[in-house]
Amino acid sequence: MSVVPNSPDKSKWYLISILGGLFITFKHLITNLFNKNKMMTLNYPEEKYEYSPRFKGNHVLTVKKDGSIRCTACMLCATNCPADCIKILAAEHNDPTVEKYPIAYEIDVLRCVFCGFCEEACPVDAIRMGPEWQTPGLNGSKFIYDINHLAYRPQLKGGVVSVVDEQERHKSGI
Amino acid sequence: MPKCTINGQEVEVKEGATIMEAFYKLNEGIAHYCYHPGLSVAGVCRLCIVDIEGNPRPQIACNTAVTEGMKVSNQGEKLKDGVKWVLDFHLINHPLDCPVCDQAGECGLQDQYMQYGKYSSEMAEPKVKKHKVVDLGPTIVLDSERCILCARCVRFTDEVSKTNELGLFNRGDRTEIGTFDGKPLDNNYSLNTVDICPVGALTSKDFRFRQRVWYLKDSESICTGCSTGCNVKVYYNKEGAFRVKPVYNEKVNGHWMCDVGRDVYKFVNREHRLLKGRVKQKGQATWTDMDAGALAKDAHKAIKAAGDKLAIVLTGQYSTHEYQLLLKNLPTKNVYHWKNQPEEWEKFDGLLYRGDKNPNTKGVEAAMNSNGIKSNWNDLLTAIKSGSVQTVLVAGPENMAVYNDMNEKIQELGAAQNVIWASACKSEDFDKLNTNAWLLPMKSYLEKEGSFINHQGLEQKFKKATTIVSEALTLGEASYLLSGQNIPVMKVAPIDTFIEADRRPDQVTLEHRKKNEFVYKRGSL
Repeated sequence: MSVVPNSPDKSKWYLISILGGLFITFKHLITNLFNKNKMMTLNYPEEKYEYSPRFKGNHVLTVKKDGSIRCTACMLCATNCPADCIKILAAEHNDPTVEKYPIAYEIDVLRCVFCGFCEEACPVDAIRMGPEWQTPGLNGSKFIYDINHLAYRPQLKGGVVSVVDEQERHKSGI
Repeated sequence: MPKCTINGQEVEVKEGATIMEAFYKLNEGIAHYCYHPGLSVAGVCRLCIVDIEGNPRPQIACNTAVTEGMKVSNQGEKLKDGVKWVLDFHLINHPLDCPVCDQAGECGLQDQYMQYGKYSSEMAEPKVKKHKVVDLGPTIVLDSERCILCARCVRFTDEVSKTNELGLFNRGDRTEIGTFDGKPLDNNYSLNTVDICPVGALTSKDFRFRQRVWYLKDSESICTGCSTGCNVKVYYNKEGAFRVKPVYNEKVNGHWMCDVGRDVYKFVNREHRLLKGRVKQKGQATWTDMDAGALAKDAHKAIKAAGDKLAIVLTGQYSTHEYQLLLKNLPTKNVYHWKNQPEEWEKFDGLLYRGDKNPNTKGVEAAMNSNGIKSNWNDLLTAIKSGSVQTVLVAGPENMAVYNDMNEKIQELGAAQNVIWASACKSEDFDKLNTNAWLLPMKSYLEKEGSFINHQGLEQKFKKATTIVSEALTLGEASYLLSGQNIPVMKVAPIDTFIEADRRPDQVTLEHRKKNEFVYKRGSL
């Protein structure tokens, strides 16, 4: 490591730099005091920044028009997941047009790397990554999101409707 | 013996063999659905078309006999284009069910499509809708939309099981598989139709939606359901075994196996197993848990104290090697063969299923004969009553469901002063043992290597597939410990040491979380 010592002459003038720094601080303080709207920062816990809907944050399970879960439990997301954090339990549905549905869908969000592969693998737009990004919790077990949290948490206001509709697909002859 | 040339390779086949058989013999790939080596030729899927030199049009390989000097090829561009179009016709009405279809991952259509597919259908018409989720019987669900009408299942019920339940109904694109008069598809070989179905039209109720096939690994093994000893593939993952499928063996089972044998994997899974050794003294109501190795050493005291007054009871559910080890390590002439319903042992349904529900009855007999032991069950009972047998070591059945005299035998053997019962599975009946008792957890047939001797006297080896209860011992290991010798025994730390205080009851435990290959091999990549 090479050390370049300051010359004693140069270091005599330190006070000017300090005052220069303080000037900038006070300039911002005064502009912010009189111009609150132009402030660059947020009062964090009270004010939160909303990311764009395209931000890939916490997972959302979409719902059908009738409000039931869109997921068909095909396990492609779980297969594709590099962090191995998705656990699905499939079961037989009474309705023969639905056939298979998940009775448990869990994401261990602490393991999740938010790569978005689950979203890409999904053939029916059943899982999306939403704009939510703040997910503090008190202890470990809260971070395993279950099917109710993923589809019907209060922030989603009754669920996000999937763009893929079974009935329409059937009508169009697929 | 005509000779022909398949894609430039010369092959000699037997008189009257078809081109398809020549392809099979060379292990050369050819697209096909309806042809199955165990069934008659139908020639309905038209996918196995091949070019024969001197023939203006392609012919189907499955129904054309080989003639001397025939030159066959399935490689040409024109022919591949033909296969592509045939496949497109098959897919006209095939629904896009792959995400919910159980066959996905081992589906003939998916495989062929990846190889020959057109990738864009030229069909503008909507697909014909048929019946979905049709309950065909106690074991099978039919989805007629997915069916490609290869009629393998119909031929199976006609030719192999000879029960004739299935048939093809209606005509043209409305053709469906169905049962006559709604008569259920209910025979002991029904699940073979699921195996031979090249698509997901027939699915097994037992396996339906329980796992995706790509999460399962397979291992070849022997069916322990009866003394036929069918060759099988067991599909399993970390959570246990999930299904059993037959493997071709000309000498034993051909291509098939029975439905009863397909249920045999169930007792192997953790929920039915004895996970820890258990011990209790006479008069105690509850069992005390103990490590298997320590328990066997503890039980050694009882065997040592008994001296000559030791009796061994064998069942036909262990491997030949284990019997030999046991009889070598604990040399006694008091060895008895516990037979479950011996009056039914000669029963045979004409195809595969036999009345003797033990895979290795011949093995027990061979082991006893080679040690010069001849015994009668009633001698054991009188010996226990008279006190000339003090300690009984029972190599109990693995598959208890086929032993309907369990309760009775527990009462009879429980009259002895000490009972050491080696058992793979747990049972409520063991609570009725009112004596000094040791329950020794055993490994099941999926967790050890060995061999079974089937009813014909054919010795078949099976290999270890997986470990489900790591603490359990094989009968051989147990015999070393019971005779006082020391061998290294696996001791397993209790799993799930860290359990969250407020875990929901439905939450999946760490142990049961799906582990993919990447996680299995962590640290060794």
